[in-house]
Amino acid sequence: MKTGVWLHGDSLSKRDPALRNYPEARSVFVFDRPFLEKAGLSFKRIFFLYECAVEAADEMRVGETVEEILNWMGQEGVEKLAVTESPSPRWREKVERLRQKVEVEVVPAEEMVTVSEGYRVKRFTPFWKDLGREWS
Amino acid sequence: MKLEKFSGTREEQARGLAKAMVGMYCEKIEKARESIHVGGRKAGLEALEKFQVQGYAGTRNKLKGNVSRLSFYIRHGVLGIREVAESVRERFGKSYDAIKFWQELGWRQFWRHLYGLWGDGIYEDREAAKVPLGSGTETELPAQITEGRTGLVCMDETVRELVETGYIHNHARMWFASFVVHFRKLEWRAGERFFYRHLLDGDPASNALSWQWVASTFSHRPYLFNRENIQENGGREWCERCTAKCPFDATYPELERRLFSK
Repeated sequence: MKTGVWLHGDSLSKRDPALRNYPEARSVFVFDRPFLEKAGLSFKRIFFLYECAVEAADEMRVGETVEEILNWMGQEGVEKLAVTESPSPRWREKVERLRQKVEVEVVPAEEMVTVSEGYRVKRFTPFWKDLGREWS
Repeated sequence: MKLEKFSGTREEQARGLAKAMVGMYCEKIEKARESIHVGGRKAGLEALEKFQVQGYAGTRNKLKGNVSRLSFYIRHGVLGIREVAESVRERFGKSYDAIKFWQELGWRQFWRHLYGLWGDGIYEDREAAKVPLGSGTETELPAQITEGRTGLVCMDETVRELVETGYIHNHARMWFASFVVHFRKLEWRAGERFFYRHLLDGDPASNALSWQWVASTFSHRPYLFNRENIQENGGREWCERCTAKCPFDATYPELERRLFSK
């Protein structure tokens, strides 16, 4: 099954874990028009992302992310999508929508520490005491 | 719609992108400019190689201190967070400076962890404020602040640097946030929006939860600063140029009385 990689704003380089799992795969980055029209970011941020995407992705697109990815997959003959995990609720919502149409493999993001399921603390000091031992 | 790559200098590429993305950024097209900070992994790796951790712990709070300026690369996954931490370990070993630097990366992991748990709940007050905050519901900061026209050189210069470059030192972020929330009694979310718009490293969780940390809706106490703190960490240059009546020229107990007495 031909796999393509979706690069997003939390993981926008050749070091992206999904891309490292599929080094031969084609990759795409989408400037999400509905989000950008609403967020009103400064142009400097957009250009910074552009400079990252130019180096990292085979193709850049502008539009609604899910639609653009599906169109790109059709164009490239890509049947399955791999993407690196993000905590963003917008990212989760997009993955759910994509999964209604295509197979999506979520690859764990690169982390400095491992946080186990169900771990809860309210302040940084205990968090780092519990999880940052390798770095203390 | 496919977005083509633009050719030419950075400036020319920026001009091409600004035309292609009209309506998707906050400036007018003629004011759309690239930052001095270059995006992409090549630039990120160069910045990582240049960064020396020696002196980090002792000087990181100073505006001219030895900070990494890698935040925008880490935020966008251009450099991996573990990659950065390991680069410091491999090159400099475990030292007090390295441990302090790793701890600061740890904050980013902490915010990210909470974002995973809370999602858009990061924009709600996580706890009751420990001091009286403003009761406004404004969603934007006043133009006088965002255009750098308060007359307070330290705040106006901070805004100018942020808007022009997309980056300011962490301590300047803290001063500005405290000024907005505690001295001007404005809604922390309005300040959060302003930073998110402009910071190249603008990250929903790091940004919103740090504003809450300053406001005391996600910390044990509010973050306050005074003129002495600015001069110690930012130098005297701002104050020497400033003709305003300084609202920050007081001891901490005096500021607490002034700002937090009901």
